[in-house]
Amino acid sequence: MDAVMFEMVQAFGSGFLLIFDPTTFSLMLLGIGIGFAVGILPGLGGPAALALMLPFIVKMKAVEAFAFLLGMASVTNTTGDITSILFGVPGESSSAATIVDGHPMAKKGEAGRALGAALMSSLVGAIFGAFALALAIPIVRPLVLILGSPEFFMLAILGVTFVASLSGGSLLKGLIGGGVGLFLATIGLDPISGVPRFTFGQLFLWDGIGLVPITIGFFALPEVIDLAVQGSSIARGEVGKLGGVKEGIQDTFRHWWMVIRCSAIGTLTGIIPGMGPATTQWLAYAHAVQSSADKGRFGKGAVEGVLGPGAANNSSLGGLLVTTIAFGVPTSVMMAILLGAFLIHGLIPGADMLIPELKGGHLALTFSFVWTIVFSNIITVAVCFIFLKQLVKVTRIRGSLLIPLILLLIYLGAFTEKNAIEDLLLVFLFGILGWIMQWLRWPRPPLILGLVLGPLAENRLFLSTDNYGLAWLGRPGVLVLIALALGGVFYSVLRTKRSRAARRDEPVPAPETAVAGGFPKMTRSTLFSLFITAGLALALWQSRRFNFRSGLFPWTICGSVFILSIFQFGRDLMGKKEKGGMESQAEAGQEILPHLVRSRTMGTFGWFGGFLATVWLLGFSAAGPLSVFLYLKITSREKWPLTLILTLGTWVFLYGIFDLALHVPFPAGKLYAWLSF
Amino acid sequence: MHKKLTLLFALSIGIALIPGTTPAASFFQGKTVRIIVGTTAGGGFDAYSRVIARHMGKHIPGNPTVIVENMPGAGGLIAGKYLYSIAAPDGLAIGNFNSAQIMAQIFGREGVEFDARKFEWIGVPVKSNVVCALVKKKGVTSADQWMDSKTPVKIGGMFAGNTTSDVPRILHEALGLPIQLVEGYKGSAEIRLAAESGEIAGGCWQWESIQTTWGKAVQSGDVAIVLQATDKPLPELPKVPLAGHLAKTQEAKDLIKAGITDPATITRLYSLPPGTPKERVRILRKAFQETLKDPEFLAEVKKSKLAVDPLTGEDVERIIKGLFGLKSSTVAKLKEILYPK
Repeated sequence: MDAVMFEMVQAFGSGFLLIFDPTTFSLMLLGIGIGFAVGILPGLGGPAALALMLPFIVKMKAVEAFAFLLGMASVTNTTGDITSILFGVPGESSSAATIVDGHPMAKKGEAGRALGAALMSSLVGAIFGAFALALAIPIVRPLVLILGSPEFFMLAILGVTFVASLSGGSLLKGLIGGGVGLFLATIGLDPISGVPRFTFGQLFLWDGIGLVPITIGFFALPEVIDLAVQGSSIARGEVGKLGGVKEGIQDTFRHWWMVIRCSAIGTLTGIIPGMGPATTQWLAYAHAVQSSADKGRFGKGAVEGVLGPGAANNSSLGGLLVTTIAFGVPTSVMMAILLGAFLIHGLIPGADMLIPELKGGHLALTFSFVWTIVFSNIITVAVCFIFLKQLVKVTRIRGSLLIPLILLLIYLGAFTEKNAIEDLLLVFLFGILGWIMQWLRWPRPPLILGLVLGPLAENRLFLSTDNYGLAWLGRPGVLVLIALALGGVFYSVLRTKRSRAARRDEPVPAPETAVAGGFPKMTRSTLFSLFITAGLALALWQSRRFNFRSGLFPWTICGSVFILSIFQFGRDLMGKKEKGGMESQAEAGQEILPHLVRSRTMGTFGWFGGFLATVWLLGFSAAGPLSVFLYLKITSREKWPLTLILTLGTWVFLYGIFDLALHVPFPAGKLYAWLSF
Repeated sequence: MHKKLTLLFALSIGIALIPGTTPAASFFQGKTVRIIVGTTAGGGFDAYSRVIARHMGKHIPGNPTVIVENMPGAGGLIAGKYLYSIAAPDGLAIGNFNSAQIMAQIFGREGVEFDARKFEWIGVPVKSNVVCALVKKKGVTSADQWMDSKTPVKIGGMFAGNTTSDVPRILHEALGLPIQLVEGYKGSAEIRLAAESGEIAGGCWQWESIQTTWGKAVQSGDVAIVLQATDKPLPELPKVPLAGHLAKTQEAKDLIKAGITDPATITRLYSLPPGTPKERVRILRKAFQETLKDPEFLAEVKKSKLAVDPLTGEDVERIIKGLFGLKSSTVAKLKEILYPK
């Protein structure tokens, strides 16, 4: 035993030394630099960037290649949080949860504090995840092997119960949102019999709708519109002194145990194949809400709402690597690409990675991953703190300059995930949906959670039943998870009741859709509930010919959500009011005239659609600069020099980097195809 | 001096007139050839294509740049459709997708928006060979034991139309092997994990993949290769019985060949759009084969532990012709087995 321990410690040390080789370290720095930029740029995501970098690692040694790739992967979530906080646009699809409270903080002028909290919790999370990986290495195989399909299924269900905490004031809307997410997850080929479900003859829909385009559109567009409506910079109020940063760092330590618990949530969900950082951020956010005494603060700039996801999306990397390294089972898109890197270097994930080099394994290499994560995050966070002042200044740039660039990056990011032009349409549609939901005070996170957990739940339910009959319900792991799920729900209900009782005396703020009297009335809320109800009815009709296997999940979900949505429709029809969802924000800044709000909103929708149309007609390289130019000249009325500089910059960025250097297969514009005939 | 120049000029015209050499060279010169891979970056298809892309350029006259583009979706059908109806048939777009798409056309499945008979085939870098691997702890370590098993052996699969599901279904029908197919796993890695955790006994998929990802366990005996669905025994598995030999009837043998062996052989297809000029097809076929013999290429695949066992474009054409010429009764039977109502 001692000998084994000694080998472990020795490998841990060698792993440390490995990354301090000059070449390796420089490549790690390069990776960090790229990851930094990719994280900051909204839309562009870590997985896509990792895939684009794969060709460059062929000439590197294995240690160098992983230092490079992991350096990049480690920091995208950290810097992604920065964008989420400052712009309200997810820097990564895995840092969307940071928006919910981080962005309201930035609007209130507390950007410094939010960033301080996000960076510090990211660092804590990353280090937690890295050391969890190191500690898990000796015991990971038996640990993961006790988990079977039934446990995976129950974990997905446990995740779904978190919807309750993500619903803010309106549980019914949250449940409907979560259900709609679960339903949307059934779009595509049924995972078992391969029958297309809700694909309308579109091959593109066979693999389901991608999480990246949906998350980006869903959260980014409402903020872009808000920015346009305000017609100002992101920070409405006075940007406070940067002293807030220190406050944010201290917040991390004030809520130390919550940060640690969220880090643990991140690492553990990372281990489960099919969950990944996109899920983890919401679970952590829900946990932050749940463990707070005053839930009313959430969505309006509660620092815990930044700390939780900030820690979890970083700590998940360690967990993701556990399963990937020990079993060669990729737990996320990013890990699948990393497995490709293993392949290129002839490394076989599995037991070998956990055996010391002297015995023919790669243990020191594995430990070098741990150190890469740790140092990449320390370096990144340090750099961020140094330049924080400059970063925060971004919130004071006028929105009219930022909007066209953000719109373009949203589309670019959605495209690079699968190189599919159809994804741009998804961004557009979900952008509109996200905006409507925010406008009508529907909580958005449950929908995303349902969408991520849907496939895992469906697959594993059938696998459990096929493998064990109904006996799986009696497995100890399953029982524990059922107890946890029930406990969580009861706890949440109890707390909500208690806090509601405490708040009963407070006056309820009138929502914008207030309706006089109890007369049935068609308001926009009613219309939206009707729209959802009709959509679900249509889906049920569409699914009538599915066989039992393909149908069971969609029927169950659509059926129950259909009933819930009828209730909601009834409530809206009767003009029943409720507190706004957790995302309803107290807007700072001056009042804007209603007709201006309307024209600016419609204008931004127009540009959003226009960008899509130009990309489709002219291709990215031409459409990008053109759209930016037109927006700056027509809507923003910028001066010529600035307009030209930004237009040129866009062109260099799109054509030079993406087209020429990285060979991103931008489709040629439709217009060229028409003209050549 | 002047004469010499004239001679050189005439000579170059002469060379230019020899069909196929200079025009093609001048065609590919300075151009970019794209290999369109029907999967995401990071997988096996992508890995082969990227190595090939790195070395193929020097074997094509005019030394074009060769790059890889990923066009994932619908199991390769999107890439297939792109190659069939959108990519220009000029030799600058090479498709790389799974032979399962060809079977999908033969079985008249939904979503196949091309006619596979019209593609030009370049070749296959490695003949895939399907074997069945079972974990020792579940008790079955040989084909005989399997055949005699009183309870159905649980085999993990992904979905109908995928090797992991189709092979057990055909073996069950053709050999009468007791099998309970459990479908819904996302990839062979998850099947492997489920077998290691004891949820299922194992699965059937490509040997070259099992060899790399599960090789240690096979060596140690924790995992047994009990059956190979190949024409002849693989060099590494001389003693493992062939599925075809266990088949009692000609019909069973036909099902195994048409449903498993032939499609597996051409799994990793490389193709050109219909109507690509014959001359360029010839050049690319030749370049493809030369690439697969290139020592630098071989050194690189060795490092990545990728197997190489090529088929020429002509071979592929012949096999595909055979598959399209299958007796309608065989096709109907296979359809019934693979896609049970």
